[in-house]
Amino acid sequence: MEFLQNNLLSWILWLPLLGILPILFLGKRFEDTAKCIALFTMLIDFGLSVLLLFSFDFQNPGFQFVEKRLWIDSLNSYYFLGVDGISILFIPLTTLTTLLCITISWHSIKEKVREFYLALLFTNIAIVGSLCALDLLLFYVFWEAMLIPMYLIIGIWGGPRRIYSTLKFFLYTFFGSVFMLIAIVYLFFKFGTFDYTKLLGVPLGGLAEKLLFLGFALAFAIKIPMWPVHTWLPDAHTEAPTAGSVILAGILIKLGAYGFLRFGLPLFPHAAQEFAPLLLLLSVIAIIYGGLACLYQDDLKRLIAYSSVSHMGFVTLGIFAFNPIAMKGAILQMINHGIVTGALFMCVGIVYDRTHSRAINYYGGLASVMPVYAAFFMIFTLASIGLPGTNGFIGEFLILLGVFFTNKLLVVFAALGLIIGAGYMLWLYQRVFFERVNPNIEGLAPLRVNEFLSLLPMLVLVFFIGLYPKPFLDYMTTSIEHLLNNLRF
Amino acid sequence: MTIELNFGVILSEILLLLVGCFIFLFDRFFKNKGYAFWLTLLSLLIASGLLLISPFGGFTLSYQNDFFSIVFKFIVLFGIFLIAILSKNYLTYHSQLNYGEYYGFLILSLIGAFLMLSSMDLITMYLSMELMSFPVYLLIALNFAQQRKSLEGSFKYFLAGAMGSVFLLLGMGLVYSATGSLFFMQIAQSLFGKAELTYVLLGFLFVLAGFSVKISFVPFHMWAPDAYESAPLPITSFIASIIKFVVIACLIKLLMVAFIPLKAKIGQILIPVVLLTILIGNVLAIKQDHLIRMLAFSSIAHAGYAGLGLITGDLIGYSFTIFYLLVYLIMTIGMFSIAVFLANYQKDLLYIPKLSGLSQISPGLSFLTLIFMFSLAGVPPTAGFMGKFYLFIGLVKSGYIWVAILAVLFSVIGAYPYLRVLKFIYMEKTEETFSYRWEPGVWFPVSITAFLTLLIGIYPKPWVDMVYRTLYLYLTFLFYPY
Repeated sequence: MEFLQNNLLSWILWLPLLGILPILFLGKRFEDTAKCIALFTMLIDFGLSVLLLFSFDFQNPGFQFVEKRLWIDSLNSYYFLGVDGISILFIPLTTLTTLLCITISWHSIKEKVREFYLALLFTNIAIVGSLCALDLLLFYVFWEAMLIPMYLIIGIWGGPRRIYSTLKFFLYTFFGSVFMLIAIVYLFFKFGTFDYTKLLGVPLGGLAEKLLFLGFALAFAIKIPMWPVHTWLPDAHTEAPTAGSVILAGILIKLGAYGFLRFGLPLFPHAAQEFAPLLLLLSVIAIIYGGLACLYQDDLKRLIAYSSVSHMGFVTLGIFAFNPIAMKGAILQMINHGIVTGALFMCVGIVYDRTHSRAINYYGGLASVMPVYAAFFMIFTLASIGLPGTNGFIGEFLILLGVFFTNKLLVVFAALGLIIGAGYMLWLYQRVFFERVNPNIEGLAPLRVNEFLSLLPMLVLVFFIGLYPKPFLDYMTTSIEHLLNNLRF
Repeated sequence: MTIELNFGVILSEILLLLVGCFIFLFDRFFKNKGYAFWLTLLSLLIASGLLLISPFGGFTLSYQNDFFSIVFKFIVLFGIFLIAILSKNYLTYHSQLNYGEYYGFLILSLIGAFLMLSSMDLITMYLSMELMSFPVYLLIALNFAQQRKSLEGSFKYFLAGAMGSVFLLLGMGLVYSATGSLFFMQIAQSLFGKAELTYVLLGFLFVLAGFSVKISFVPFHMWAPDAYESAPLPITSFIASIIKFVVIACLIKLLMVAFIPLKAKIGQILIPVVLLTILIGNVLAIKQDHLIRMLAFSSIAHAGYAGLGLITGDLIGYSFTIFYLLVYLIMTIGMFSIAVFLANYQKDLLYIPKLSGLSQISPGLSFLTLIFMFSLAGVPPTAGFMGKFYLFIGLVKSGYIWVAILAVLFSVIGAYPYLRVLKFIYMEKTEETFSYRWEPGVWFPVSITAFLTLLIGIYPKPWVDMVYRTLYLYLTFLFYPY
């Protein structure tokens, strides 16, 4: 146990490798075994990340569970891991999402089964790695490595236009991150280190800081994605298989916002403040534009994908308000969006497996065909709208409250986005679940056990965060205060 | 100055020469051509042993055994070892090529590479470069029996090489007229403190042009796709990996030892050449439907990336260039081993669209292809990323940020052709199927190179250190022998 405690982050990070190795060498006949291995590995991994959550020290604003070993000494680069209040919540979210992706795909992935679970486990490693890497080079390696499994997940198991979408996804994100690479290399030369904690205190300023910030910001903005670099998202989310959409919406796009919080703001405080009005404006445009685009969609997944653009607009709005309340709201909103949108994509995946159609007008009256499913979908819809009592409310409320202190006009427009949000989600619900039963969907099979079990944890979390958000907010309080204090030196 | 005739230092070349001559003379008497392979393998092993025990020192003033040559000869030996194993497999499926001469030419070319790495004057360097190239022209033409086009490829390569030789000789003449010597050390001495460098620079530019043909820098790149496509596949990997490695290593040696005052100038001149090479290689690779042609253009682009390290004109940049070439050597041999596997079973599998659904037929091979493709595209955690990363570090360190940014942007373009291959392998379906066997001649090189690709990608430190220390120690011993 001692050994586990000392290297808890490494265990969480590399444990999926223990699943990957046997699956890699399993024959074609052992597909069920491969599934079970993947499930089992991720169960343990999730358990470990919950253990991480419980052994976290709330009062400490710095990094905890730190591990630091020399990696490449000529580059002064370290295998340096650590979590603080900003990143800790994302690690259980990631492992939980991957776990649920395994269960939700249990019956729906029928070809190249082993490869699929390999790709999922590999994605998990890359995402957890980039969440806890505190060495810029290490971070970049994980950040880019993520593209490999995602490229395959969308491209192999996706929908009809999967190849176009996956290439677009890959090239877009690759394009964004190469600028970050140059910025990282430049930082290394200026200060001789990739160590995040050492780079925090370095004096930057002037043009260099602005350009470096823009280099990082482009990578993160494409990942989030902010308007106007969002165009890869609707394609990728729509064409990805259910698990791919869930990972993309649930965690991958959070990494962009996480990148802003972890690297963008603290490393380049002046530039961040200088560009904040622009980024706030883009956030509000994303909120309104994403919402309006949703009203126009006739494809279930595409609608939810555009709603992600809108919701991530709230997140960036909260981040760049430089206000502790808004920032808490932003982080909580990221978690919420991961839960709710992930769950919504699972829901769409569930009916898609049965009907192979994503067109909204293909459905109608689904509530009387699959009542339990309809109840789940209703709750996630309401959470997505931000109804009090669900987690969506807490996040959006905190963001709006925080932004209200800095800029009242923006709140007006953002709140408008909320109303549009209620509009498209309820309209979607009405068209899919109420009205006359569409003959296409008569007699659809009820929820399977694995589908029910995949949705249930999300449902619990929706209400848990919605009714009692304090434990989650407690995790971030000290770290956010610490971050904002450093921003205002 | 005394002229040493120290036979101890060139034992490995002597051995290889004897083996090569033996094959050419006595091939007739062997019914079973398998002997040539085993003989080659054995002589490679003995040669590496001899290399290990050979003392430092010179054989006349033209040849020198030192850190530089020994370490890089080992890398070349490693590459040729894998290529020989691969050739054995390739030849069993393409028996019309199965002559002892195949290995004989390979060994002759290897001797050329060895001599070139050790050469200490321009004439030796020129002759050994020709010794390295001529067997390759012949090896390409040897493929005539199965592919009529190979004569064209061979001839194109030969003409391009001849043009390069002309440039090289002209450059050497100019250098001689300016400095009065062809020995590296004496050139260095005569350039020391010299203000007027125009003639030398002009001469060196011609030398550079001669080398560029072999490295396939733009505008001397057009022979590559034809030659690559028409050569026997193991030989293609030899042209792409080892010849480039040796020639660029020698270019670096020239810059470090002989033409020291020109380093910075040459770096400046190379900027547009290198950037154009990367751009043209990457852009032309996009539309290629033939796997080997695609790899040929990608090889042009990769030569350009390697050239990025020459721009800065310092030891660090040079060592990153050589590190990149080492990485590229590993990736290329791996990728061509896969190409050999495909060509063994069905010739038209080398057309990229015909690769559709390969992952259904052979998941293991597809996974290995995936590793090489992402490595060539430069995505972590593979060696290709680390190679590029070090090069960018070298550029940014010397202030060439804009070059780094352009090179990085071009690498985004360059990712597409590799993704396209993976698209067909993993994302398209096929009804066709073929049966295959995993033979050691393929899986051995593939698995070793794939393992190294991942290993260097995750832990590059010892490899970079090795290259850097080699160059550093070489220069230290050369200029401060005591």
